[in-house]
Amino acid sequence: MGDDILSYNGGVALAMKGKECVAIACDKRYGVQNRTIATNFTKIFQYSDHCFVAFCGLATDVQTVSERLKFRTNLYELREQRKLKPVVLYNMLTNLLYERRFGPYFVFALVVGLDPKTGETYVYDSDNIGAVSDNVNLATVGTASEYIFGLGELFFKPNMNSDELFEATSQALLNGVDRDSASGWGAVVYVIEKDKVTVRELKGRQD
Amino acid sequence: MALANVLGFKSNNEFDRSLQCQKTDNNIDEFCPTLNIENIAQFITLPPYADPAKYLKMVNEKVDRVKIQFLKGTTTLAFKFRNGVIVAVDSRATAGGFIASGEVKKVIEINPYLLGTMAGGAADCAFWERVLARHCRIYELRNKEKISVAAASKILANMIFEYRGMGLSMGTMIVGWDKRGPGLYMVSDDGERISDNIFSVGSGSIYAYSILDAGYKYEMSTVDAIDLARRAIVHAAHRDAASGNIVRIYHMKETGWEKIEEKDTNDYMYQYRDEKTMNF
Repeated sequence: MGDDILSYNGGVALAMKGKECVAIACDKRYGVQNRTIATNFTKIFQYSDHCFVAFCGLATDVQTVSERLKFRTNLYELREQRKLKPVVLYNMLTNLLYERRFGPYFVFALVVGLDPKTGETYVYDSDNIGAVSDNVNLATVGTASEYIFGLGELFFKPNMNSDELFEATSQALLNGVDRDSASGWGAVVYVIEKDKVTVRELKGRQD
Repeated sequence: MALANVLGFKSNNEFDRSLQCQKTDNNIDEFCPTLNIENIAQFITLPPYADPAKYLKMVNEKVDRVKIQFLKGTTTLAFKFRNGVIVAVDSRATAGGFIASGEVKKVIEINPYLLGTMAGGAADCAFWERVLARHCRIYELRNKEKISVAAASKILANMIFEYRGMGLSMGTMIVGWDKRGPGLYMVSDDGERISDNIFSVGSGSIYAYSILDAGYKYEMSTVDAIDLARRAIVHAAHRDAASGNIVRIYHMKETGWEKIEEKDTNDYMYQYRDEKTMNF
């Protein structure tokens, strides 16, 4: 895999929008270059009932950034006495990452969320120093991001319901990781709707 | 080329490769009994500048973002046992992190009684083992008997040694059955040639060795040997990112090699998980 720091541990995540639902999925591999050490390392973290972030990149930074962000969001909820919204979450993430502009964390992030009252969906894609995209239909991060992007664009349709969204996300992720040696070994998909969040484990190739 | 020579066909094109072959065929009687390596150079052009090794080194190491890194991302194994030699390989080819192919044939069928495995540069392995096939056939024609595995592996090792330091990347195992019984040699790009009962080559070899060392017995049956080889490749495919996709198994017997199977490693992984011999 060379000496590229972002492919040292590998991993991938994908987020897609549907009609009043969003899906976020990631693989479960934890490895050190060619060696796979664990197959239960999920990269998706929950910050509120309907706000999720996926981090991909160097595993130590995935853990550190997710925990530091949790610290800030906990304090926000205590001080403000209100639940986190996706827009607030991505702004906090941007600031957290830009604080380390000249010695950055090696993680790329996906922020997804849903407003349970209006059904508005949010999918944002962030680089490792906090540049956040606009609210997009489809976003991927990680070592297999290009392969999954192609498949995601193919399977995406506007205004999918949650079942179609789950299928599209799963197929894009599973087939994309089969072309990347540093991702895979199982996958997990979160489908977030107004009233519930469904977590499903995917049966993927274990090589 | 040989046929053209026999029929007396002469090509007009000065740069036609067939002319070069014609020269070799005419001098065929001057081949030394061991090997005339010089003739190989007529078929391969070295780069047209001085000190090719220095330039080729640049292409192999990271200089100005030009990098062709040959990492032996694969798992191949072979072991001798009572009933011959089992050869098992995976089928994944990676270029950096990208899985370029999941259906590479890493066992090269040199002739019906000799097999070679591929690890490292696919082109290097495929080409030189084909040259080896040619030399083995010429030996067979001249001496009216099949070449020994020791001699065949020595021919390959000597050819590779000529190019030592120039960036060839090969970690191959030569497997056969000759009058001394089953033969297994490992030949690599640094000119190493050794014989032993068990070998595994590639980034996944560390995982394969564990399984092989745990379950190997010289007296095991053919069915057990095939199962051991299969498990070793499947476990390596699971742990090693650069190995996987299909497992291919061959059995080298006295009558020549036989292809045993070609199945998806993923199916075996789930099967072994149900049998509780694999955990994920």
